[in-house]
Amino acid sequence: MNILESILISVDAVRAHKLRSGLTLLSVGIGVFAIIASSGITGTLSKTLSTQLADLGEHSFLIQRTPSMQFGGSWRKYMRRKNITPDIANELRNRMTTTNLITVSNTAPGYIIKAGLESTNPDVSLIGIDELYFDVNAAAISAGRIFNEQDVVLGSRIAIVGVDIVNALFPGGQPLGRRITIKNQEFTVVGILEKKGGILGQSQDNRVLIPLSVFVTYYTWRWDTSVDISVKAISRDALESSVDEAIGYMRTLRGLKPWEENDFELDTNDALTSQFSNLGYAIAAVAWISGLGALLAAGIGIMNMMLVTVKERTREIGVRKALGARKRWIVRQFLIESITICQLGGLTGVIGGLAVSYFAAMIVRSESMPAMTFTWPWEAVVFSVVACTAIGIGFGLYPAWRAAQLDPIEALRYE
Amino acid sequence: MAEIIDIRHIAKIYEMGDEDVHALEDVTLTIKQNEYIAVMGPSGSGKSTLMNMLGCLDTPTSGTYLFKGENVSEMSDDDLAEIRNREIGFVFQTFNLLPRATSLHNVELPLVYSGIRSKERIARAEEALRQVGLSDRMDHKPNELSGGQRQRVAIARALVTHPSIILADEPTGNLDTKTGQDIMALFMDLWHAGNTVILVTHEEEVAQHANRIVRLRDGRIESDTVNEFTNSVP
Repeated sequence: MNILESILISVDAVRAHKLRSGLTLLSVGIGVFAIIASSGITGTLSKTLSTQLADLGEHSFLIQRTPSMQFGGSWRKYMRRKNITPDIANELRNRMTTTNLITVSNTAPGYIIKAGLESTNPDVSLIGIDELYFDVNAAAISAGRIFNEQDVVLGSRIAIVGVDIVNALFPGGQPLGRRITIKNQEFTVVGILEKKGGILGQSQDNRVLIPLSVFVTYYTWRWDTSVDISVKAISRDALESSVDEAIGYMRTLRGLKPWEENDFELDTNDALTSQFSNLGYAIAAVAWISGLGALLAAGIGIMNMMLVTVKERTREIGVRKALGARKRWIVRQFLIESITICQLGGLTGVIGGLAVSYFAAMIVRSESMPAMTFTWPWEAVVFSVVACTAIGIGFGLYPAWRAAQLDPIEALRYE
Repeated sequence: MAEIIDIRHIAKIYEMGDEDVHALEDVTLTIKQNEYIAVMGPSGSGKSTLMNMLGCLDTPTSGTYLFKGENVSEMSDDDLAEIRNREIGFVFQTFNLLPRATSLHNVELPLVYSGIRSKERIARAEEALRQVGLSDRMDHKPNELSGGQRQRVAIARALVTHPSIILADEPTGNLDTKTGQDIMALFMDLWHAGNTVILVTHEEEVAQHANRIVRLRDGRIESDTVNEFTNSVP
């Protein structure tokens, strides 16, 4: 017996009851939409971020007092931690033997940068760096020069600025050699950072780099300065031994007893990425669960609709049985009908979900993430097709079985 | 002529609450190939029950029903469906066409359940529609057809499987006199062409077309006579 016949019958039945089928179809569509759209968006973000996250270069790692991403309520523990002072950072640098690419930096958010009458929004990140910053981190300059050891040791009043700063303060002009003011201190622009784009709408180009010594003098409270240490292993293979070495010296320098846990955070690029991925998965999981909930509700709607359909078409079922339709033919017809409705709903959800996540990705990309490529959530699409079929069968079975059980004589007499 | 239907002492008892209703009692009947039988009787006579029985839509409470030697009395629902599909062509008073399907598709339907390929189905459905004079209405839906045309589609649907019997339940009941006569003429043609026709009716005039009249009363056969008056012997 051919299935195409049943599919045509069900498409016809859907067309015959446009509103009812449309609403049921929509409810399936919404569930699928939630799943597809969330998978598309989180998939794209985590893939993009895994290549872009943080300033860390390959086989680099970061030592900080507190984690860069915090989940849960353990902030008290982090707040009790001692600062990582520039002295500790220097000592670590002296002791490490597996690599000498160790850079110390500190970041403070929310600065206003001025040049003449122009000024930026109060959201510029000010970063104090040393001469090795560009060797360790995934950052580069597009014009001018980087800092050398003398700049850092002597505390030269010079700055390397991001593209956003250039656009805000020197539109159309040449920034190199110009003066900028940060909280009453004057700096000469000596370099321009290469454009990086943004992560989650936060621009990576809205920053100013100055020598760490100057940063510490003017932009921190001396008693509350905790620096970040970035370490680059000489190779990917050497990463692990460098990490171990750094942990060992850090524990010694911080005076930790063997049974005490680390009072600092050490994150590799991979670890940061996976931390973010976990966040992405959590978001996706919530969307999937709500999508599945919507699908379940839709399934109940399907069952309701199919029961009404069977009731309405009692006479038709009687005719079909009189003409020789076996029970399983009737079951199959109504099952295919409910599956078809689920699939049509799923199709609208898939198309809607793909479209929305794609355009969302495109908008985010054009605004802040030029490197982003859309990741098609094929697994979610396959899952949706399977789920729609399962729901069509699961919730269509009982109405279909009811239809098949009808007594042809009664059914033919039904008005 | 070969016997198609052989019914012996069948009874049908329905339970209605506490009471048993004897719809049929001790009915014995044989029907041979190419007979044209009218089953008559007032309402409540068991006419419909007998028709359901003959049409293999229902099984008797007791007695035996042999259809071409097969024992229908003990068949499962699916076996009954198969025998209906293969052996019986139904024509209903209310036509019972699928409203959203074309004539051609309506006529094709029994062949779908026989598992016949699409190409052959269409050829046979076209042939059946030609037989009832509706070659030019194949793509029309029931609501685009007159009552008489709808009944012709239903007859074509009954013919398309080349069944052993055509079972018509008040086929002219919903038609005006003139159209009713046309339909009766069509049944006459089918009979002449060698078909076995069983007509269930309460109209004497309609019954007079048949060559044998079975009269029911209170669930029993009251009379079973050859109709002398029929002038159309095959």
